[in-house]
Amino acid sequence: MNKRKVLGVLGITVLTSLVLAGCSSKSKADGKDVTMWVQYSKTDPEGKAMAKNITAFNKENKKGYHATVQYIPRNSSGGGYEDKVNAALNAGNLPDVLTLDGPNTAAYAKNKIIQPLDKYITNKSDILPSIISQGTYKGKLYSIGYSESGVGIYYNKRMFKDAGIQESSIPTLKNPWDWNQFMAICAKLKAKYNAPAIDMQIQDHSEMSLYAFAPFVWSAGGNITNKNGTKSIGYFNSKESQTAFQFIQDMVKKDYTTTTPVNKAFQTGKYPMMLSGSWTITELNTSYKHLDYGMLPYPVSPMTHKLVSPTGSWQYAMTTSTTKKKAAGALVNFLSSTKQEYRTSMTMSTLPARKSVSKLMEDKVDPSLRFLMEQNILSGHARPVLVNYPQVTRTFADTVTKTTYYKQNPNIAKLLKKQATTIQSYLK
Amino acid sequence: MTKSRKTFIIILSTILIMLLALLFLFPLIWMIASSMKSESSIYNDLGGIKAFLPGLNPAQWGSAYQKLLGRFNILRFILNSVLYALAVTLGSVLVNSAAGYAFSKFDFRGKKILFGLLIASMVVPGDTIMIQKFQIVKILHLINSPWAVIFPAVAGAFNIYMFKNFFDQVSDSIVESAELDGASAFTIYWRVLLPMAKPVIATVGTLSFIGSWNDYIWPLMVLTDADKFPLQIAITNINNTQPVYMNQVMAILTISTVPLVLIYMFFQKYLVQGLAVAGNGDK
Amino acid sequence: MSRLGKRQNQAWFFLAPAIIVLGLFLFIPSIISFCYSFTDFNMLAPKLAAFVGIANYLKLFKDPIFMKSLKNIVQFVAFVLPIQVGTALGLALIVNKKRPFNMFYKVAFFAPVVVSLAVTSILWMYILNPSQGILNSLLAKVGISAQPFLNSSKQAMFAIIFLSAWQACGNQMIIFLAGLQNIPKSLYEAADLDGAGKWATFRNITLPLLKPTTVLILTTTFIDAFKMMTQAMIMTQGGPLNSTMTPLYYIYRTGFTDRQLGYASAMSVVYGFGIILFTIVQRKVTRADEGSGQ
Repeated sequence: MNKRKVLGVLGITVLTSLVLAGCSSKSKADGKDVTMWVQYSKTDPEGKAMAKNITAFNKENKKGYHATVQYIPRNSSGGGYEDKVNAALNAGNLPDVLTLDGPNTAAYAKNKIIQPLDKYITNKSDILPSIISQGTYKGKLYSIGYSESGVGIYYNKRMFKDAGIQESSIPTLKNPWDWNQFMAICAKLKAKYNAPAIDMQIQDHSEMSLYAFAPFVWSAGGNITNKNGTKSIGYFNSKESQTAFQFIQDMVKKDYTTTTPVNKAFQTGKYPMMLSGSWTITELNTSYKHLDYGMLPYPVSPMTHKLVSPTGSWQYAMTTSTTKKKAAGALVNFLSSTKQEYRTSMTMSTLPARKSVSKLMEDKVDPSLRFLMEQNILSGHARPVLVNYPQVTRTFADTVTKTTYYKQNPNIAKLLKKQATTIQSYLK
Repeated sequence: MTKSRKTFIIILSTILIMLLALLFLFPLIWMIASSMKSESSIYNDLGGIKAFLPGLNPAQWGSAYQKLLGRFNILRFILNSVLYALAVTLGSVLVNSAAGYAFSKFDFRGKKILFGLLIASMVVPGDTIMIQKFQIVKILHLINSPWAVIFPAVAGAFNIYMFKNFFDQVSDSIVESAELDGASAFTIYWRVLLPMAKPVIATVGTLSFIGSWNDYIWPLMVLTDADKFPLQIAITNINNTQPVYMNQVMAILTISTVPLVLIYMFFQKYLVQGLAVAGNGDK
Repeated sequence: MSRLGKRQNQAWFFLAPAIIVLGLFLFIPSIISFCYSFTDFNMLAPKLAAFVGIANYLKLFKDPIFMKSLKNIVQFVAFVLPIQVGTALGLALIVNKKRPFNMFYKVAFFAPVVVSLAVTSILWMYILNPSQGILNSLLAKVGISAQPFLNSSKQAMFAIIFLSAWQACGNQMIIFLAGLQNIPKSLYEAADLDGAGKWATFRNITLPLLKPTTVLILTTTFIDAFKMMTQAMIMTQGGPLNSTMTPLYYIYRTGFTDRQLGYASAMSVVYGFGIILFTIVQRKVTRADEGSGQ
């Protein structure tokens, strides 16, 4: 192995080795000034909240630490920002603290780009379990989410009423609907409006797919991989997982949902339901004020009746290359404390990542957001922490797409077996 | 052909070509119209002719633009974009014309190989070598410098090729008579050839300007300071920060596209002349 | 002769800026990329890169997605080249004649070129929306049922072909226009005196004299078409079921999303040499054609 490494370095030409040499000679340690990269723009509400938090940090910390932030707006897939992190990693000029999307935790931790945070974070028991499991790799906390996200079923109250759906049959968090009850309501709505009952964003081949639909698998008692993330065959294609994909396929087959939805069909009152994330609340409240909508929980498997809902967020982490561990650790701890997270979550209308923040927000937020907050605490489930997550999530999305082609793939068990094999090839 | 028949043909062809022109223009119209209405009416109007008309209430036409200005320091971004694009345009004209001159009017060792390499470089996809490019920028200590945005864009194979073809068409006797008058190689380039190359300059300039104006990922990678960001970064940001307000997206797209259309309108005459050279020289 | 002797060295003075820029930002990165192609370079672990010989090259020939992407791009090029160049020539012929509103036409036909590709891709996604897009509502008016377009693995590539040709043909139109304006008017006058019809004039004068322009356009369009990526990335993410996956997009995704820069580099080396080879063949063919035509 060592020999191969040497050969590898030789192979990368004189020039590249120059590059590598250039980056290992790091600037000298000052110890107090830390830099941080974030994935949003300075002028966004999130950026403004961050600026306030940083000012507070610089003023309030008693050790004389001083933090500066660089705002690097990303595009939809995380591109831009992540390209920049990748480039900086190769050129050796990463900052001391950076933000990363939840699913990147394992890859960053495994490759020693970020280091464990355990000893810097105070009041850990207050943090939501989904945040902890998202940031944990091999038993250590490597990154910490500063807000949460969630998905619910938005419904148009008037359209429900006009379709004759009884108030009593509307599910609650305490008493959620199972897939059969959900489909019965879809049938009613479809008959009444002669349109799909719900936009499930099933055509979205991006991260949204695993994020939104894996909870069905988990609710059924299935899984994507085993606990250690080493095996997928026997898990992704288990009987339980099959029921979840069967449910998705039935939804499409019966035209309750569609792979080709009208743009903003829910917002403009064309479909009675939509499956979407917490960010849609702001959109509805600013651009579609006339819409009388409410929020419903995730449909659950009729076998288990277990409510599971999606979570996931961007997080803070400390780089391995930092020479200012104490200052960087203090910054991460400060930014993920109750007061600062409260500021971020309130300005962004995102879900809180701490129970204490949740308490503070409860009375001050939109009822729909409050609903999602409660759903998160009850049933939030983090995405798996896997090194090759990008490939796994793509295979998941691919599976959902194939499931919706019900004519070509009528046999879910067969499809899942093939897909499980593909996923397994990424679990090394 | 009778006169009335001729008029009829002119009218008919005008109508048909107008329709064809609209086929090319409609996204632009949709973009501008959508920037002048509310979010919900964009989606309610989709699928009909109303999609191409601004909102009914003129008071609302500017509201997306107003919100945009509140959200970003748009003027600063525009200024940055203009500066980068102008610098790239200027640099591109100078660097590429000089190289084109060398390929056209000199015989030096390795010319054939160098030119072959140049043409081959046209197939290298810029996006796949971004990381390696970044490493070079890092070695040169150009991170967060506007030069990192400008330098890599000032030389391009196609542009050198166009200048070479133009200079090829300038007869050697002009060069030789200037030489007899004692002009240096630089004087011949600067005072004789370059002034003749106005059409190519306009072409290379316009294309470089458009290219630089529309670039997004590279500036984002090499710049760290938000005050130096070009307009495209703001566009991507607005288009990707949830919730996305479509009317604001359309407003900023309009802001970024209209200047390019205007530039093209001004220079299109030269553009055609310049490209005439490129096509003709390919023998 | 002065051109051979003393001025040889002066050439390097004029070449230097271009050589430095292209060298630094194109050739050296390409060479680094070439070297990476023999390693298992992972973007997140640059220092652990190990030499793996030609393993990456062996792997790519067995990679079904890469092979599929090659098939897709050949399909794309085969269709987009004639459609785009043909349309461009047609448009150039239209605006080459003196007509009312000529300036407006020129701007209109060129407009899609000016708007960035990312933007046009987004606009077309709305137009092609199967449930409410303008195109399907137009089709409905003439009695054609709604088409899935980008949601169908059979139609998605054709939608992208059409949109790409539409987007870029303004560029080639201008080059054609330039070529047309270079044709001496006297030739047309002579043909007119001979009583040649419009079609005959077009075939016997316009087309042959447009040959150099056409060769240039075919070559550049050909190369650009092989580099197609943005449309597929934004509109379909290569789907449905990889039916619009292109080699460049797959290389980009493997290198940047999946972080396997070593493997991605090997694919770009193979693909890059492939395009060069193809281009040489294509030029040989068009040139042979040119020779026989004269």
